[in-house]
Amino acid sequence: MSRFSLTARLSIILAVLTLTVMTAVGFIMYRTLERQLMVRDDGALVTRVEQIRALLHDEDVLDLIHNKPQLFANMLGNTESLLVLRFPGRTPLIEVNPGNSPVPDIAAVPADGKLSLAAVHHRLQGDTPFIYTAAQARTTRPPYRLEIITGRLMMERTRMLASYRNQIFAVVAGASLLTMLLAGLVARRGLLPLHRLAAQTGRIGSKNLSIRIDSEDAPRELKALIDAFNLMLDRLELSFTQLSQVSADMAHDLRTPIATLMGQTEVALSRPRPEEHYARLLGSNFEELGRLSKMIENMLFLARAEQAGHAIGRVWLDIGDEFATLNDYFEGPAQERDLGLAFSGAGRIYADPQLLRRALANLLANAIQYADAGSTVTISAEHQAGHTTLSVSNLGADIGEEHLARLFERFYRADASRTTANQASGLGLAIVRGIMTLHQGGWRATSAAGQTCFQLTFPHGERRHDDDGRENGAEAPAPIERP
Amino acid sequence: MQRILIIEDEPKAGEYMRSGLTEAGYVADVATDGITGLHLAREFQFDLILLDVMLPDMDGWQVMAALKNHDVPTPVLFLTARGTLEDRLKGLASGAEDYLVKPFSFAELLARIRIVLRRGGREPQPDLLELAGLRMDVPKRRVERDGVRLALTNKEFNLLHLFLTHRGQVLSRTLIASRVWDMNFDSDTNVVDVAVRRLRQKIDEPFSRRLLHTVHGVGYRCDDEA
Repeated sequence: MSRFSLTARLSIILAVLTLTVMTAVGFIMYRTLERQLMVRDDGALVTRVEQIRALLHDEDVLDLIHNKPQLFANMLGNTESLLVLRFPGRTPLIEVNPGNSPVPDIAAVPADGKLSLAAVHHRLQGDTPFIYTAAQARTTRPPYRLEIITGRLMMERTRMLASYRNQIFAVVAGASLLTMLLAGLVARRGLLPLHRLAAQTGRIGSKNLSIRIDSEDAPRELKALIDAFNLMLDRLELSFTQLSQVSADMAHDLRTPIATLMGQTEVALSRPRPEEHYARLLGSNFEELGRLSKMIENMLFLARAEQAGHAIGRVWLDIGDEFATLNDYFEGPAQERDLGLAFSGAGRIYADPQLLRRALANLLANAIQYADAGSTVTISAEHQAGHTTLSVSNLGADIGEEHLARLFERFYRADASRTTANQASGLGLAIVRGIMTLHQGGWRATSAAGQTCFQLTFPHGERRHDDDGRENGAEAPAPIERP
Repeated sequence: MQRILIIEDEPKAGEYMRSGLTEAGYVADVATDGITGLHLAREFQFDLILLDVMLPDMDGWQVMAALKNHDVPTPVLFLTARGTLEDRLKGLASGAEDYLVKPFSFAELLARIRIVLRRGGREPQPDLLELAGLRMDVPKRRVERDGVRLALTNKEFNLLHLFLTHRGQVLSRTLIASRVWDMNFDSDTNVVDVAVRRLRQKIDEPFSRRLLHTVHGVGYRCDDEA
């Protein structure tokens, strides 16, 4: 069935339905007519016997037969009928049998008995029904009983019913065909919106992702589909724009160190230099190359982090141990800036150890860089139902509202924004976001009254997500909405 | 003299590795395709093979499989530009000793080579490390220089131990961060610089001769050459 078009399918289904219903109706009508005709014919036979009974009543049968033989033949009036008059067990006094039907042998209804339709018997003669009955009549001659056996071959009725049946067949077949044609037309008309939708969809490509399907005139059934499709286009367009933006940003960001590399190497090679000059140049080149390499590494990491279902090795980690590792690592830089590191919270967290450390290190590196000298950077863990929230906060200049929302974007830089983790790449917080996406968790930044706080939410297990990686967990802190 | 075979199709890459390894005291040969590499590995006795994954005609995986088929016992270290977890696992599952993702620091490569070669030779880590009057007693976790006991923190001790076991080698910040702090990523902090500076204040500044040297743009080196 799946080979057929929707139109053909609908037409065929409707035609089959019509065929079925009309066949059933035709059959019922045929049967009803047949029954009514049978009752009519049986009644007519009974009436004829009654007439003959009345005729013979107290008559001298032999006289009657002798004098009025035509009477009986007339009574029958056609070749389909049979009439036998006889004294019981004797040869017939009269036998009218133009159709040569075999004379049935049945018990006759007694002379004083009432004749009813039940006394009429049916049999098939060839393919034609034959109805017959027998009754006794009172006569004046001994044995004062005369048997009337009469019957009728229903040829005319059979013909009529056959023609009626053929008419029904013709009507059913015609109606089914007509239905099929009309259904085809109707279905085609009905499916026009689908064809239009297909045509409109076909026009959308990467060059004009901003086209939206108009659902104004669409039938209600298609509205939901069109709306969903338009939403998908919205998401695609956004991703596409972001992707183009990222490619452009990336090219721009790669261009800077490469320009430096080429420029300073070219200048150095343009004339002979003392040896230490070359050594310094190589060192500087090595630094630039390291920066490039790191940026590429981070871009690859982000690309992988955005692949849905990218596997990470989550285990239950002791928060105290993780905090100790971080403290070890950042103690030095914090002391350099006369900062305290205050860790609070205990228990366990469900995360990939390397990724967790990387995310926290990025946040902590920022906090240490931007905290007011002499203040304390606090790192805390809090458990709520189903997830654990880690916060890194510091005292320092506020980050403007307009930057907060875009802080986690790739290559987003603003004077006051903190993207120095992975310095000069602007990827530090994007990597934090990537890591949280992989963990199906949440991320958030707040900054007010001289306190800036970054929060990461780690769920205690797998959870379902919408496709752009944002939280569905209502209990988690709301992540930053993406633009 | 330990011999290393480099199977690498990029001529510049093969050449810098060859010269770097030669300077580090190894005998190194380069093959620029898998078939030649496989042939050399079967004909001659090597102590280690550095195998690039992306090779023309016969790639690294196929070379590895062929080596195993021919029962070549030489340990193999994979070098590749593809750093996904699946690739790493595939490399290790195929029987390689180790796996390095390009770009890697040369110091890191040397360190990995030493570890692989040591595995074969079972070279024990010495308990006592000495350099120009600096003595480190590893089991007792004591450090002194010219007879003066130096009080080092745990991290400083581990950092110095790393320098003393890689004497004369330039160690990149990344390598130091991953060995001393188990931080295998670049957080771009000055953690390593701060730590080296503090270690210097304790082991170098009170003394006339400097042991910890900054190699501009690359990292740090520890030796008693001026």
